[in-house]
Amino acid sequence: MEALETFIVESGIPEEAAAYKSIVSDVISELVLGGAIGRIKVIVTPEDSLFQMAIVLRSSQPLVKLSDITNVDSGSAVKKEFTISVVEEKYLPELLEKLWARYGRGKVRQPERKTLIISAENPGEESELVKEMIIADPKRTLQSRLVEMAIRGTPEGFRVRYHSMDENSFVFVASEDALEPEWIEGAHQILAELQGEK
Amino acid sequence: MAAVLEPYIYEGGIHKHTLITELLEDLGGYLIQKVPAATEVTLIMLIPKDDVHLIEELGTKMLGKLTKAPLTSTEIAVVSPTLASHHLPHSACDVAEHLRRDGANTNMIGLARGMGRRVSLSADYERKLINEHDVAVFSFGTFRDCIINKKPKLLENINIPIVVTGGPELETEEVAGADVYVGNIGRVAHRLRKSDEISALDNLNEKVGEVVNKMRKDISKDQLAVLPPRVMKEIHEQIPEILDVLTPAPITLQLDGLRVKLPFEEFHERIEALEFDEGLKLSEIANITPSKMKNYILIKIKRESEVGFAV
Repeated sequence: MEALETFIVESGIPEEAAAYKSIVSDVISELVLGGAIGRIKVIVTPEDSLFQMAIVLRSSQPLVKLSDITNVDSGSAVKKEFTISVVEEKYLPELLEKLWARYGRGKVRQPERKTLIISAENPGEESELVKEMIIADPKRTLQSRLVEMAIRGTPEGFRVRYHSMDENSFVFVASEDALEPEWIEGAHQILAELQGEK
Repeated sequence: MAAVLEPYIYEGGIHKHTLITELLEDLGGYLIQKVPAATEVTLIMLIPKDDVHLIEELGTKMLGKLTKAPLTSTEIAVVSPTLASHHLPHSACDVAEHLRRDGANTNMIGLARGMGRRVSLSADYERKLINEHDVAVFSFGTFRDCIINKKPKLLENINIPIVVTGGPELETEEVAGADVYVGNIGRVAHRLRKSDEISALDNLNEKVGEVVNKMRKDISKDQLAVLPPRVMKEIHEQIPEILDVLTPAPITLQLDGLRVKLPFEEFHERIEALEFDEGLKLSEIANITPSKMKNYILIKIKRESEVGFAV
């Protein structure tokens, strides 16, 4: 599935749908969701104060392990320390958080942007251990960004919300009145249509 | 009555800009607002009509630019249904910024419960606050149905001229309670900078300008007992504390009055006792009341027909 291979926004009046599509696409790009969404369809019915959205996600990204983004040497038993050379800087803040939590700030030195020196009693053992450390879970941040997108994308004041989320889909319905069961049903049907597309 | 004054904005370097303000003073004009920004300065002024060329010549010599600012000495309320990210910073702030480029002073007002359709409403306090301004610009969204059927509720009991902006192209008559409707400025999530967006904002400024011109014309039929900039000058001279106020516009001019950003309890007696060369006190020719905005002072100047003379 390509990124954003289907991107439809529907509303009673075509010009309004086009204007709303620009809002949704601005929100998607603000939250850097372009690569994660495969197909998306939004239906806005202002007369009923109703907003329905269904999203098919692209295959989810795997967990990020420390060894995926850095090179770790086996360390020196004499100096009681080992070195981590960061290859992919994107996850550096999360990486530092995890290392600080494990060793304490005093034992993690960063003499240079991409080099971390860790003091440890058994550098050989520890270096093997940290390689398996999980640094980030793109799926989790993806979910929270999707929720943020749904809230930002909804017309203002539609405070009654329904959502359903799983591995590769997201359904969202919002209104300012109590939600009708057929609205939710309708949103799930939109999702089924999107999933049925080849 | 003093010479006819024309509003202009000067943008240029801060170096020696006092030459301009001194010349303006000699000519009998008024400096409304001075905004220094690093090495640049923006001066908003009222210049006597016959002497505009003098300021222009001096400004050109100093490599600055003098442009007309039709909205000078107006205070405009830019009202959005709430202060949520749906309306701010785009497009409501872009609207306010564009109005300021023509010399207006703008206040952003976000209603507490203006969101949604059925549930949308405004409070008495909010309406009174909006009514203190010269013009209210309401920034609405994308959907025709909302603007025609639901949002006009927010325009009720607003007594000043109302300009409504929204996405769809509508006729003014379709929006109940609006004096002017300007389309193509609906809800957007990005900064308005494409050419069609900017031209929609230009169109808005033009429409607001027309509304303001009409108000000015109405005022000239029964003119004010004293010009608001004259009162401003007297406050600057007689109440030096105003110089220590840090807001961008310590004295905000309106078409028929001023908002003085000093605490009412402490200063209203001195404002009332403000003296003019003609031997008058301000309280004789103006109503001085507490403003709904913070604890500022609101001055509304009486008309010539009410007072019997104009200074």
